[in-house]
Amino acid sequence: MATLLVHIALLAYAAAAAAYLTWLVRPRDRLVSAGRLLLLAGLVLHAASFVVALGLSHGEGLAGAGFGSEQWRGGQLFSLLAAVTVAGYLALDLRYRLPVAGAFVAPVTLAVMVPAHLVHSGTRPIAPVLSHSAALAVHVGAATAGTAALSLAFALSLLYLASEKQLKAKHPGRLFSRLPSLELIDRVGWHLSVWGFVFLSVAIATGSLVSRESTGAALPLAPKEGFAVLAWALLAALIQARLVAGWRGRRVALLVVAGFLLLVGTYAGLLAAPPHGSAAAALLRGGG
Amino acid sequence: MAVLLCVGLSHKQVPIAIREQVAVAADQLPERLRRLKALPGIREAMLLSTCNRLEIFAVADQRGAADDLIRELGPLAAEHAVARFEDEALLHLFRVTASLDSMVVGEAQIQGQVKDAHARAQEAGAGGPLLVRALGAALSAAKRVRTETAIARGALSVSSVAVRLARKVLGELTGRTALLVGAGDMAQLAARELHAGGVTRLLVANRSGPAAEVLAREVGGIAVSLAELPALLERADVVLCSTGSSQAIVTRELMVRAVKARRFRPLFVIDLALPRNVEPAVNELENVYVYDMDDLERFAAQNRELRAQELQRAEEIVREELAAHRRAAQERAAVPVLARLRAQAQALADAELERTLGALGPLDERQRKSLRAMASAIVNKLLHGPTERLRGEQGGPLADAAAELFGIRDVPQTPAAGPESEPPSAGREPPADREKGAERGADVLSLLGRK
Repeated sequence: MATLLVHIALLAYAAAAAAYLTWLVRPRDRLVSAGRLLLLAGLVLHAASFVVALGLSHGEGLAGAGFGSEQWRGGQLFSLLAAVTVAGYLALDLRYRLPVAGAFVAPVTLAVMVPAHLVHSGTRPIAPVLSHSAALAVHVGAATAGTAALSLAFALSLLYLASEKQLKAKHPGRLFSRLPSLELIDRVGWHLSVWGFVFLSVAIATGSLVSRESTGAALPLAPKEGFAVLAWALLAALIQARLVAGWRGRRVALLVVAGFLLLVGTYAGLLAAPPHGSAAAALLRGGG
Repeated sequence: MAVLLCVGLSHKQVPIAIREQVAVAADQLPERLRRLKALPGIREAMLLSTCNRLEIFAVADQRGAADDLIRELGPLAAEHAVARFEDEALLHLFRVTASLDSMVVGEAQIQGQVKDAHARAQEAGAGGPLLVRALGAALSAAKRVRTETAIARGALSVSSVAVRLARKVLGELTGRTALLVGAGDMAQLAARELHAGGVTRLLVANRSGPAAEVLAREVGGIAVSLAELPALLERADVVLCSTGSSQAIVTRELMVRAVKARRFRPLFVIDLALPRNVEPAVNELENVYVYDMDDLERFAAQNRELRAQELQRAEEIVREELAAHRRAAQERAAVPVLARLRAQAQALADAELERTLGALGPLDERQRKSLRAMASAIVNKLLHGPTERLRGEQGGPLADAAAELFGIRDVPQTPAAGPESEPPSAGREPPADREKGAERGADVLSLLGRK
């Protein structure tokens, strides 16, 4: 059932991506409305699949709540990440009307979801000591929310850089009229970066607790942790520069892009970690 | 037969010197509309008077009414007036409403002006159902043109391009501060557009204090001294330069300091002076965007080109909507013919049935019911073919032929083109004629019934 729901959600995300991308070529309001509704429908189905998966966990806690369940095979964390990013985008769109960001979010969601759900991999249980860990639940939740916020900030930063380049060069591109104002992109990107930083801080702190519970080391020297701390430090510097020196615009957008790439490095480190290296690696990799 | 007429003139026929003489003031409209409605053969009328056109759209009994309408425009306008009839008049109404006939193609104002003209006609008692339907369809076509094409997108004048670009950088202009340096005409125009666009504070700086004050009064701003320029650059969100200075007033060095003091808040600089008042290198600074006359004109030219590209699609939409309007009109024309045809046939069948029942003597209820069902079935089967054909043809000449053939006189005839005819009231035809028509219809149907 959960798998069926996810597959229907995938179709809705695909249709939303098609609607938004068509809108880029032919700017019709109804395409944006259709894209928005399809994303919402996909999100509802996606969320329903999580609820169904939770029902199937039979009280096994986080380990059984879809993440390690036989119902889903691998990539569940990315699936959760995609859902939270879509939810975040829809909330932003409701407040600021950013269809051009939808043209980025919908295809990327699809690109993340397809390998997360359609590429076959086995499942494996999480270490028993972590299966009911509150720290792990908070860690996964905060990391997901933080990554979703920074993904959206990254998308907006790319939009900012593209729009700023066209305005500086005085050569409007084909999508120029669809781009929001620099001020709006900068403001929304800033808010998202702050939220991303807050969630990332919580994720790193709780990740340290999880690591100590499972391996005894609070901050193991591994690529995943290294990238996460670097990303966190970069975001901290960005916030400091904005608040103290008033940085904004292009240089902030570039810092957000760098911060997001470091975060991608964290996930790459997660995927490359040995099978029992961390709980989250077990969630992601499956197998066993 | 109702005929749609359009008489009048526009920017295509006469220059502004004539248009301004023939324009109808708002307070004169009710009287002019009443006079139009009082003309012989005029059923409905609407007068559209804008800075670019003076046109009357009317529904008349015949084409000849156009001469009276032209005379009603006045001697000067009558010399240049153009008359359009039926299809051509309807197409013109659609094109005008969709802003395809405007001086600035795609401008949004005309739709409101057309709506207003129609509202005035209704208030003056000169409006009517045919113009309501035609206007509704024209406005619907205009809406499609605006939403489905880029014809209305992109500013066309230098000053409006400047305002749009300012919005692209700064977002909403409400609460923003604009600094006007110098008193060039173009800068004043742009300042007014910025003010209309939401800019809250307008600071006017000039070398001469009194000149700054005069200009500040004109544009609703505050006069400031040009000597305070460094500090003013820290405060402003938009800077408009148009002094006659032969040297740059806003230098890179000056702006570097301003950017730091502004804490990188974005600044949009419009340089409308020749020679330029702002060093081109200022545009290289972070969060500072400098646009000179050439840049703005290039944007405006691109927008004009884009609109021209969209024109063909817009014309297609207008023609599609026009065709849909005509089909709907023909369908409406067919419905009364069908209804009356069926009513006449059923009445005849009922009468014959009653006579037959009387001749047959006592029958039980079941037998009477069977005979009634048979009579109805005959009517239905006889009329099935004509009904389908009339529906399929959506009225048109076939509906007129059916009305003539079956003697159905009291239904509207389909106009050759233009809006559908208003169904005349039952009292319009003399009662004697109606009776004769009914008799003729009965004869035909009797013959058909005997076959």
